[in-house]
Amino acid sequence: MTQLVQAGLYGLLQGCMLGLIAVGFSLVWGVMNVVNLAHGAFVVVGAYVAFELHDLFGLDPFLGSVPAALALFVFGYLTQRYMINLVVNAPIFITLLLTFGLQLLLVNGLILVFTADYRSVPTRYAADSLVLPGDVRLPLGRLIAALIAVGLTVALGYLMRRTRTGLAILATGMDRGAARLMGIRARHVYALTFGIAAALAGGAGAAVGAVSTFSPADAGRFTLFSFVAAVLGGLGNTSGALLGGLVLGLVEGIGGQLLPGTLVNALAFAVLVVVLAIRPQGIAGRAFYASRVEA
Amino acid sequence: MGTKLRTGLAVAAVAVLAAGCGSKGESTSGTQAGGKLVLGASLSLTGSLAREGILTREGYDVCGKVVNGKGGIAVGGKKLTLEIQYQDDTSKPDTAAQLVDQFNDKGVKLILGPYGSATTEAAAAVIERNGQVMSDSSGADDNIFSKGYKRTFAVLSGAKQYAASMIQAINDLAGPKPKTVAFVSADDGFSKTVTAAGQATAQQLGFQVVDVEYVPNGTSDVSQALTKIKPKNPDVIIGSAHLVEGVAIVKQAKELGVGPSGGFAETVAPPTPDFVQTLGASAEGVLGSTQWTVTTKGSDAWFGSATDYAATFAKQFGGRQPEYHGAEATAACLALILAVQKAGSTDAAKVRDAMAGLDEQTFFGPLKFSENGQNSVKPMSVIQIQGGKPVTVWPKDAAEAPLKWPGKA
Repeated sequence: MTQLVQAGLYGLLQGCMLGLIAVGFSLVWGVMNVVNLAHGAFVVVGAYVAFELHDLFGLDPFLGSVPAALALFVFGYLTQRYMINLVVNAPIFITLLLTFGLQLLLVNGLILVFTADYRSVPTRYAADSLVLPGDVRLPLGRLIAALIAVGLTVALGYLMRRTRTGLAILATGMDRGAARLMGIRARHVYALTFGIAAALAGGAGAAVGAVSTFSPADAGRFTLFSFVAAVLGGLGNTSGALLGGLVLGLVEGIGGQLLPGTLVNALAFAVLVVVLAIRPQGIAGRAFYASRVEA
Repeated sequence: MGTKLRTGLAVAAVAVLAAGCGSKGESTSGTQAGGKLVLGASLSLTGSLAREGILTREGYDVCGKVVNGKGGIAVGGKKLTLEIQYQDDTSKPDTAAQLVDQFNDKGVKLILGPYGSATTEAAAAVIERNGQVMSDSSGADDNIFSKGYKRTFAVLSGAKQYAASMIQAINDLAGPKPKTVAFVSADDGFSKTVTAAGQATAQQLGFQVVDVEYVPNGTSDVSQALTKIKPKNPDVIIGSAHLVEGVAIVKQAKELGVGPSGGFAETVAPPTPDFVQTLGASAEGVLGSTQWTVTTKGSDAWFGSATDYAATFAKQFGGRQPEYHGAEATAACLALILAVQKAGSTDAAKVRDAMAGLDEQTFFGPLKFSENGQNSVKPMSVIQIQGGKPVTVWPKDAAEAPLKWPGKA
């Protein structure tokens, strides 16, 4: 029993981490219908920013997530404004190709600059844990990462629903033509959305660096996680990706105790298939995103 | 759900999978020109094994530089300079096999092995069909050598020795002697062979194997396996895995409060510099098995002793010390060169026969191939992380320091 509680709690923490990685990916997909294959590479870049800041100034990786997020915001804004905006009206194949190219460029650039070595940002506390009754452990680093994940998701939800900027993003996502007629600058809003998503990826990367290992080759894995969590949770809702991540983490955690450990990935994808068969828009997704007007 | 979104989903799913695949190596043109001995190498320069693939390339590069620095290889009265052509197999077995086939189309018959057992196994089948010759630097899985291939030769000790050597070392040196062990194993062919042989050795030596948990190959999350092992409370946890899983075992064991009284032993991860770098103090005391250390006995005409080799390597790579990935790659290249020298020809059939009859001492240890192409005479060494560095502790005649036990940080 203790074993299952431990596995479940660890799985939930792991799920929060996945959600944190996926939330920006889901935002871009939901608003712009762009499946950003370079998202995983942004996460890795964020991890390297935190790694370098720790190396140079001894900055704690969780604090380092703030500068990492800022740097990625600027990079993301410029990328959307001057690159992806040029083809955002084209069929989804073109944006897929463009972001795929961007990911190749980033990953191989990172290998050139940082080599393919595995890294981790060392902290004195991240591997320590809170001891609960029954010797169930809550690792501190993952707990902090989970709190950041929940905090950021709530903040993003507030931004989207309660601020003029967020409403402009939503409006542009629903009907770009109408939004432009209302005086919203779609180009700017798109760039802003992509910038926010990249910033979230950067922050997530710093957290990944603190609790786990990373190398440029992990970019594809992070994109895949994001994709699964976003589809599972559903588009059009900021908490969808977090929910998707939590379900994935929990299924892998509990499933890993009941089944042979090599089957956990298959189990996670089986859950994805079942959810999509029953609820095609995902657990928390909104159907209107599928039928929105593209202009 | 609109058709548009549904198509988008399908397309995106395919593309996300493709994104995980990394880049495809571009092809270079090149033929066996006069005065040159061209060797082909398909390596994991990108993808999940890029780290080890690049270490392997460094070993091949050292070989090329040293051989050409000495004026090349004397074959039939001519001096041939060495040229190694690299292709990127993106860590995928099918791609490695295709690239080896492409080398054959270009007339490159002598091949240096890719990194890892899966890619090597795929390449070996093509090598056999094409009548090429492969000097295998890192494929240790016994599957490669159980198919009756006559043209793949591995310079390294077989997979069965990886965990078995550490258990032997613990049995010989540890006091108090641990009673129970548990295995965390990746689920690829190599790791499974290592685990099976390790289990057999452990039982033979009187250890009780309390649990064997398999995890997906290349995963950075082994928490489920560790949660299952925790209540069984083993004295030693043996990781049969690569670097990522190896780091995760130590890191997540600390998070989950899994603290074996004797410590950890892991096959290939601890000797790599990344292991200590990423784990810091938690790496202290972890045992590892290695194909080669600077105290390995033996020497040869091209590279001298293991210490000489380390100096040559350090000179070429800005003072960095070699570890076994580089050394085994150089040794594979050396085996091919010794075979070419002995055959007095670059003809693939003659080189194969010369290779099969090699019996040499090298900086990598003794080199002599059994019928199935494995190096039958080379022992493995066991290292322990002491003071942030891998130090040889077993076999006793090559030990740099005594084993610290229990091996906990």
